[in-house]
Amino acid sequence: MTHTDLPNATPGSNVRFGAEIKLAFAVFAGMALLPLFMSGYLVYILPQYMIFGVLAMSLALLWGVTGILSFGQAGFFAIGGYAIGLMTGGALPFGGLILGLVAAVLLGYLVAALIGYFLFSAGVRDAYFVLVTLSLSIVVEQIAVSQSQWTGGWNGMFILRPTIDLGFVRLELFEDVPVYYAVLLAVALIYLGLYAFTRSRFGKILVGIRENEPRLLSLGVPTALHKTAAFALSGAVAALAGAMYGMHSGFVSPSLGGVLFSTEVVVWVAIAGRTSLIGALLGGIIVSSLSNFLSAVTPTYWQLALGLIFILTIAFFRGGVAGALERVVSRRKSAQS
Amino acid sequence: MTPLLTVQNLTKRFQGLVANEGVNFSLSEGEIRSVIGPNGAGKSTFISMISGHLSPSEGQIVFRGKDITAFDVQRRARLGIIRKFQTPSVFLSLTARENIELAVIASGTPSTKQNGRIDEVLDLVRMTALADSEAAILSHGQRQWLEIGLLLGARAQLLLLDEPTAGMTAEETQATVQLIRYLTQELRLSAIIIEHDINFIRDLKAPITVLHLGKVFCEGIFEDVSADPHVRNIYLGEE
Amino acid sequence: MSSLVGVLIDATLITLILALAASGLAVVFGLIGVINMGHGAMLTLGAYFTWAATTAGLPFIAAVPVAALSVAVIGLILEHVLIRHFYSRPFETLLLTWGFFMVSTEVIKIVFGADFRSVANPLPGTLEFGGLQIPAYRALVAVLSLVILLTIGIIYKKTTFGLRVRALVQNQEVASLLGQDSAFLYKQVFVAGAFLSGLAGALISPMLSIDPYIGNVYLVRSFFAVTLGGLGRLVEGTILGSFVIGGSETIFALTTSQVFAQTIVFVLAVVLLRFFPRGLLAGRS
Repeated sequence: MTHTDLPNATPGSNVRFGAEIKLAFAVFAGMALLPLFMSGYLVYILPQYMIFGVLAMSLALLWGVTGILSFGQAGFFAIGGYAIGLMTGGALPFGGLILGLVAAVLLGYLVAALIGYFLFSAGVRDAYFVLVTLSLSIVVEQIAVSQSQWTGGWNGMFILRPTIDLGFVRLELFEDVPVYYAVLLAVALIYLGLYAFTRSRFGKILVGIRENEPRLLSLGVPTALHKTAAFALSGAVAALAGAMYGMHSGFVSPSLGGVLFSTEVVVWVAIAGRTSLIGALLGGIIVSSLSNFLSAVTPTYWQLALGLIFILTIAFFRGGVAGALERVVSRRKSAQS
Repeated sequence: MTPLLTVQNLTKRFQGLVANEGVNFSLSEGEIRSVIGPNGAGKSTFISMISGHLSPSEGQIVFRGKDITAFDVQRRARLGIIRKFQTPSVFLSLTARENIELAVIASGTPSTKQNGRIDEVLDLVRMTALADSEAAILSHGQRQWLEIGLLLGARAQLLLLDEPTAGMTAEETQATVQLIRYLTQELRLSAIIIEHDINFIRDLKAPITVLHLGKVFCEGIFEDVSADPHVRNIYLGEE
Repeated sequence: MSSLVGVLIDATLITLILALAASGLAVVFGLIGVINMGHGAMLTLGAYFTWAATTAGLPFIAAVPVAALSVAVIGLILEHVLIRHFYSRPFETLLLTWGFFMVSTEVIKIVFGADFRSVANPLPGTLEFGGLQIPAYRALVAVLSLVILLTIGIIYKKTTFGLRVRALVQNQEVASLLGQDSAFLYKQVFVAGAFLSGLAGALISPMLSIDPYIGNVYLVRSFFAVTLGGLGRLVEGTILGSFVIGGSETIFALTTSQVFAQTIVFVLAVVLLRFFPRGLLAGRS
């Protein structure tokens, strides 16, 4: 292809980090207070959407920060879900919660690292990478369906909520409220970890890769390795989210890894704003919960509206909601000064 | 004194076109070399083969005694061979400071020394006042300098400057002469510069290599080269 | 089918049918670099329009061009409203055409409902060939596919229009300097691609039960087929790529399950693309 892309200056890409941390604090504080005002059903279901938010963050890390679009995050999500199911369900001679989580994260990381290295070292990018990740989703879904002796095939796999037994404390995760706070804590920690990562030297290099990879390469940075690491990390986070989902919802099925769910994640992140982690988290939570709620009421018209919003966002609001907000804020700031 | 860079018999052929042929070239530490020639002389191809963006059809490139002919762009950059592109290539949506920061990170400078180094480089390219401005709003000339800043931040030893004063005012061009002289004389960096601006080349007072039709046409100091009628002819298309 | 001849015939049929399905993408992605993620949706629309036309009383032979033209019109609207502003931004095009897929799928569900539809087979019966029974209609579609591809090839290589398109493909900047209205040319090429996708969907419709996602089976396969064949190699590339993706899947499926065969083929395609980024016919990069 002879098409040369202009340097990819993404609007909203300089989310000023001070503002982001304050917003994140507000979000988590708010969510910590929600159970006091919410009905029991919402306390029960919100953790699932928080987990989807983590999945959205895994894409934001890859797409927003590094500029690599993947249509395969659901594939890693499913890998994590099935991994935890296999490890805690007694299907294997070893297992347990900790081992299950480690296995999920490791598997997500390794699969992504192998695919990433194989492709990035050859300079595969953009459209081809989307194609490959799309195929990944298809392949994961097919494997989940066909290896039914392990995965339960189309019928899916049931997963029991594990008990966290740390020796000095034993948590039976059956009550809604403790589960809510356990998930919120986990999500907050994951967010903080990813945020710290994006602020690190490594994170800054990823931004450089997004903005002008050839320049960075000509400055001596082995960009293919960094891209591989970014993809591996996003795969690990997505798999972790999948494991959490498996434990929370108690059920995983092949469609969790398929193309339609993978592209849903892209839609969440595109609309919310791909360059902001907290934006992606919120976007994942809000759009997925809206989707589930409205799908019960009017599935087709909601999906149609979502498709139109998606098109409008890509055509006019590349930074998504977060980008638009940031522009409003910075315009106000420059008006004041 | 062993030269910093030695190029032997460097040749590049594209399908049916010979862009460079049998180029021999050497550069010492702390030396500046201006490379001039009419359009199509093979200057960009030559620089691309030194930076690693193109691989030669024939020939050898030796840098600090090491044969780097097979090294890729990234590896050469790590050795200190870094290129400033013809169209300024910086990180447009990042501030000047963030731009330099990336280059300094790329160089592997330990994190405790990073901020000091960033300030140092910003000062060298006179961007201290503009440190928090987005590169996108800088003028063309300022972006050229920012890009030189990137090279410095990344610890370039051999700067490959592709038309560094294109689009600059006379004042900016003069300042660039001063900067390059400072970098090579005080900091012992070396530079190969492709340029068209006669005044710049004259004021730089550096040895000149003239390329024509892909070969080295002649070499010498400015006074000799500019007086040479053959050189004038190749620019007029008469040779 | 266990005989060698049978396998080869099956592989040939599948190759040609996939090549037909991929032809629209070969034009739109291969020539003007539009990453049309809505390619599958256009196939689906072609199938649904054929169903609607035949249900309304049109004979199949008339329904097919009507369906293909309808999809071409939709392609024209899409190009004019959206795509033409994003030719230099392939990422955006990718996402926008995916948005088109989302929207058109829902519209199909609203207009046609989500139940399975079927188009009656216009040529039932089988052909005898070397002791094997080949569905007559499948053979016809395979032959038509070859005819269509060769026609595209002739238009591309031998007509003035094709010459202008080739100039555009080689160098967009120069082509526009030569006084061509390249914007209009892009439009024509995009609409031609949409027409072909719709045509493919129409012709394939009697062979499958139609649901809103039917075209997407061909989306990834078409992309692989076109890129493996080499962008711009309209005829030989599309057929070769379709053979690697479609034909080999048939051959693999003999020894393993269908699912496993598909997985192997995708992995094979990814590996091949990594080593031959400009297609199998271009040699190693």
